[in-house]
Amino acid sequence: MNPTIDYHAILPELILSGTLVVVLVVDVFLRPPRKWLAMPLSFAGVLAAFVATLTLIGADRTTFGGSYHVDPFAVLFKVFFLSVAMIVLFLSLRYFREGRYYQGEYYFLLLSSVLGCVMMPSSRDLLMLFISLELVSAPAFLIAAFRKNDPRSNEAGLKFFLIGVLSSAVMLYGMSLIYGVTGSTNLYEIGKALAGHLGGQETLALAAILFVVTGFAFKVSAFPFQFWAPDTYEGAPVPVTAFLASASKAAGFTGLLQLMFVAFIHQAAFWGPVFAAFSIFTMSIGNLVALQQRQAVRLLAYSSIAQAGYMLLPFALAGHGVDKEAFAAAVTYILIYAIMNLGAFAVVVAVSRKSSALLIADFAGLMRNAPLLALAMTIFMVSLAGVPPTAGFWGKFFVFRAGIDAGGIGIALAVVMVVNSVISLFYYLAIPRQMILVEGPEEPMRSPALVTFVAALAAAAVIAVFVYPDLIAHFPPLSTLVGS
Amino acid sequence: MLSQASAETYYQSYAVVLAVLAAGVLLVGVAFLAARLIAPHRPLPAKLTTYECGIDPVGQGWSQSQVRYYIYGFLFVIFDVEAVFLFPWARIFERLGYQAVVEMGIFIGILAVGLLYAWRKGVLKWV
Repeated sequence: MNPTIDYHAILPELILSGTLVVVLVVDVFLRPPRKWLAMPLSFAGVLAAFVATLTLIGADRTTFGGSYHVDPFAVLFKVFFLSVAMIVLFLSLRYFREGRYYQGEYYFLLLSSVLGCVMMPSSRDLLMLFISLELVSAPAFLIAAFRKNDPRSNEAGLKFFLIGVLSSAVMLYGMSLIYGVTGSTNLYEIGKALAGHLGGQETLALAAILFVVTGFAFKVSAFPFQFWAPDTYEGAPVPVTAFLASASKAAGFTGLLQLMFVAFIHQAAFWGPVFAAFSIFTMSIGNLVALQQRQAVRLLAYSSIAQAGYMLLPFALAGHGVDKEAFAAAVTYILIYAIMNLGAFAVVVAVSRKSSALLIADFAGLMRNAPLLALAMTIFMVSLAGVPPTAGFWGKFFVFRAGIDAGGIGIALAVVMVVNSVISLFYYLAIPRQMILVEGPEEPMRSPALVTFVAALAAAAVIAVFVYPDLIAHFPPLSTLVGS
Repeated sequence: MLSQASAETYYQSYAVVLAVLAAGVLLVGVAFLAARLIAPHRPLPAKLTTYECGIDPVGQGWSQSQVRYYIYGFLFVIFDVEAVFLFPWARIFERLGYQAVVEMGIFIGILAVGLLYAWRKGVLKWV
């Protein structure tokens, strides 16, 4: 048997793989002052992969024996992940060049993780999903610990590693049980098998689903598996945290979306309430603990936990007749969240050059010292809280509407979400308050051009999506994965 | 929910587990008791050292260990795994045609990049 491979379908992945090998080889031949050239090289590779992905728009291809699909859903997320990769590369350049870290290795590992992200939305097979997820996580463990001389960075890497390995083990166990029950690793086949008669193995199938969900809950830092996130985010280099909180988390969610809405959809009555509990506790705990934070990255870490709660909400609505709407709401929320979160981290990267402790108090007077950054940060914070005129409003609105349309438990969840949004306003606005109202030391802040560019771009995108939500919402591909 | 008969067999299968458990506890208990009664009791300071035979340990347990063997071990494992993949491939690559040759070339090429990296980082030099 000689399986034919659709090389066009996997062209972005091939380009990325080639680039990361080239980056590693070129790096070892560069003299230390020129090591930063690894970044433009990586950027060229990601850009090439981006263009290759654009040629796949509208495609519907299958390769590797049905385990790898390139459909509109996959292409949408590939474009998204590659954009995030470019932004993180922008944020990384000055940070890693000035810190004298291992730059070549950093870009190599970052690209490996991006490769995993790009593979994730195409993986329609348990094994492929697992490989993608490990490819996202394994390099991320290393780059989280990249500030070797800082014990907090070591702690970040170690915690992330231990939790990551534990969750992988739990997930793999669940996957093996699912294979045992259904006799297949293909998500569509599993969906068909689980819809049929299981011959006394119904309970085992439910237990297996629970194991897999638990594994993913660790990855997306949902309560009660969220405790690693703040320490890891705080200790890791700030550009890495930006990557973890946006791309890595979104990758977890894409995997979860495919599993839940393709393979396990028939058992929605069982796992829907589980996700409802996840969602309520994740957003509430994240928001309540965020109220206590004095450090900017920890604040954003707890905020990202709370945001994961909003993203988990649409899962709880599966099986209430609004699957398509819930799916689209989850996808929209993930995309919008990533934009505003990346923007916020861009500003934090800029501020980290002045004060490495990154207390919220350090933002004082930013409005005078760096008006553009302060304005952008205000927009991101307002958007994360979900207040118009920002993209975050639409993200919350679509989730809210899906909840109301679902009725029953959906309405309760929507109400909890609104209450949480009001609570979150309190801590999100703490940073703008500090920047605008509190007097700080008067010293003009010089931020790297690329970082300012990213912040401005993200701020513009956040406003643009509010004015014209069709940019992201109502994409036809959003719900192609969901049947009927 | 269980019927009378099936409940009985159900608890009987637990009885086997209990019996094995009891037998295990008994076995260990008897062995220890017998040793207490029969064995001669002659305490010596030498018996309290870490190893009763061999060389006395030198220094602390937290001393630094030689890391270069570790790196060599690493490189060895990489190429060991390569061999594991190469042997079955060598058995059948004629049947698979040129595609198999190219694929194995890519695989070995990636490992070669790893070796190149190790060489440039000075791992291969015995320091």
